[in-house]
Amino acid sequence: MTLFGRRNVLLAMFVVAAVTPFLVNDYYLFIANTILIYVLLSIGLNVLVGYTGQLAFANAAMFGIGAYTTGLLQVRLGWPFWLAFPSGAVIATAVGLAISLPALRLKGLYLAVSTLAFAQFTQWAFLNWETVTYGAGGFKTPPISFAPLPFSKEIGLYYLSLLFVVVLFVLAQNAVRSRFGRAFVAVRDSEIAAQSLGVDLLRYKALAFGISGFYAGIAGGLYSALLNFVSPEGYDLFQMVLQKSMIVVGGLGSIVGSILGAGAIVVILEALRAVKGVQEIAFGAILVGFVLFMPGGIAGFLKAKLRGWEEPLHRTQGGRPPPSTLVTPSEKSEVRS
Amino acid sequence: MLVIQHLKVSYGITQVLRDVTFEVPTGKIVALLGGNGSGKTTMLNTLSGMVRPSGGSILFEGKECAGLSADNVVRSGIAQVPQGREVWPSMSVQDNLELGAATRRDWAGIRSDIDDVLSMFPKLAMARKRRAGSLSGGEQQMVAIARALMARPRCLLMDEPSAGLAPAIVGDMVDTILALNKRGLTILLVEQNIGVAAAVAEQAHILQGGEITFSGPAAGLVDNPEVLRSYLGR
Repeated sequence: MTLFGRRNVLLAMFVVAAVTPFLVNDYYLFIANTILIYVLLSIGLNVLVGYTGQLAFANAAMFGIGAYTTGLLQVRLGWPFWLAFPSGAVIATAVGLAISLPALRLKGLYLAVSTLAFAQFTQWAFLNWETVTYGAGGFKTPPISFAPLPFSKEIGLYYLSLLFVVVLFVLAQNAVRSRFGRAFVAVRDSEIAAQSLGVDLLRYKALAFGISGFYAGIAGGLYSALLNFVSPEGYDLFQMVLQKSMIVVGGLGSIVGSILGAGAIVVILEALRAVKGVQEIAFGAILVGFVLFMPGGIAGFLKAKLRGWEEPLHRTQGGRPPPSTLVTPSEKSEVRS
Repeated sequence: MLVIQHLKVSYGITQVLRDVTFEVPTGKIVALLGGNGSGKTTMLNTLSGMVRPSGGSILFEGKECAGLSADNVVRSGIAQVPQGREVWPSMSVQDNLELGAATRRDWAGIRSDIDDVLSMFPKLAMARKRRAGSLSGGEQQMVAIARALMARPRCLLMDEPSAGLAPAIVGDMVDTILALNKRGLTILLVEQNIGVAAAVAEQAHILQGGEITFSGPAAGLVDNPEVLRSYLGR
């Protein structure tokens, strides 16, 4: 095991994350919690886009659905957070599964446009369905309590987010290494080959959409509790750009890359908070820069430069390799007849 | 036996296959030849369940397969080696093979079949952990064939396995096809290379404009004036 290998770095990151509440003030704890929430979003989106190759733009909407469901069930129906929160995740998962139905027939730009249309419709519903969503002004959610545990809301929510990150990271890591992960990658790399060998495209596409919906729903519930406030602007197109930037910067088809990308983008976002108008330009430039010069993202760069960063099924840089080269007669394959 | 009767396939208003009838006897190799756009790949994709026919029937071992989903076609014993190899480049050779058994749940059988299939292709056995995308064209074609074998098919549909390979490797491919047939596999070979078809197949059919225009023994295809007229336009 190499000193700066993936496993050691992840372990160090976990230790730092575990002691963070004792070392930083409330502002930095808020930033750290935001990073954890975006890690969940990035992992789910990476399973869908990076591993399964579905160019979908509905993750911000599912994030919003998780947040709105969690918040509205508390405010409208008086449900406790601990019941409303999993319900938000279930609803977001169900929406993810529903979106997968047209995805079997659509791919590439057509899928992108249809999921974008769904995201815009969701945004419209958040804004205009005032009798349910409170419209553009949004609404406050009740503060959550961790009693009888001896945690303040901030620290309790931070550890709850960390717990979800650890559990869902391990789950995603195991899923992509399993038969499911190979099926996702088969769908991404060649639908024809996958189908001709009996890989059920609908099943695996639906599963990938469902996973991304579930992760977004969990993230949405935690986000509504973190802000104690839900409003439409948190789940708009810029939110989608943020999440896409995270997986491109971290590395498409890399679960570890999702953590690195989320961390990097949230830090940049905070650094640019004073110059808000520049944020969109900066993220556009970052995306173009990574696509052109570092298509494997941070994870791909680390894999190329350091030992111990190999990940099974990590997307090859720039997608498919160049056309196969022909072997010389001396390299003829031996075939037993 | 694979029996194709009066098969019709349309993409919108364009009819790609018109009333195609032929059969592939059990344990034999049958070649389907034709130029670009003649409907060969559509024929294989229809047999594989990826394209739904607009008419006709596909009987495999007496059971109707027309209209079955692709995974059910594989379960019924038909697997395809797709055109252009289509290996999954970021997966290892072993992962490619494991996923070839996507419709199976007998894990112990899958593990022993991987060893069995790799014993047929010693070069792949040595590259078991390598990414399939890093292999040469000939090796990738071997991966595609080995992967299809993992479904334990009784009938193999091969879509232009010699395409893009160096002549020396094409010779190996011919040996492989014959070896697979010797193991009892029924093979429908779609080819543009008339020499490869003549070397391995017993029966050949020529598809032109979605119709069978020639059927006969594969031996002597190259010298057959009817074939030259039908296939090469001479």
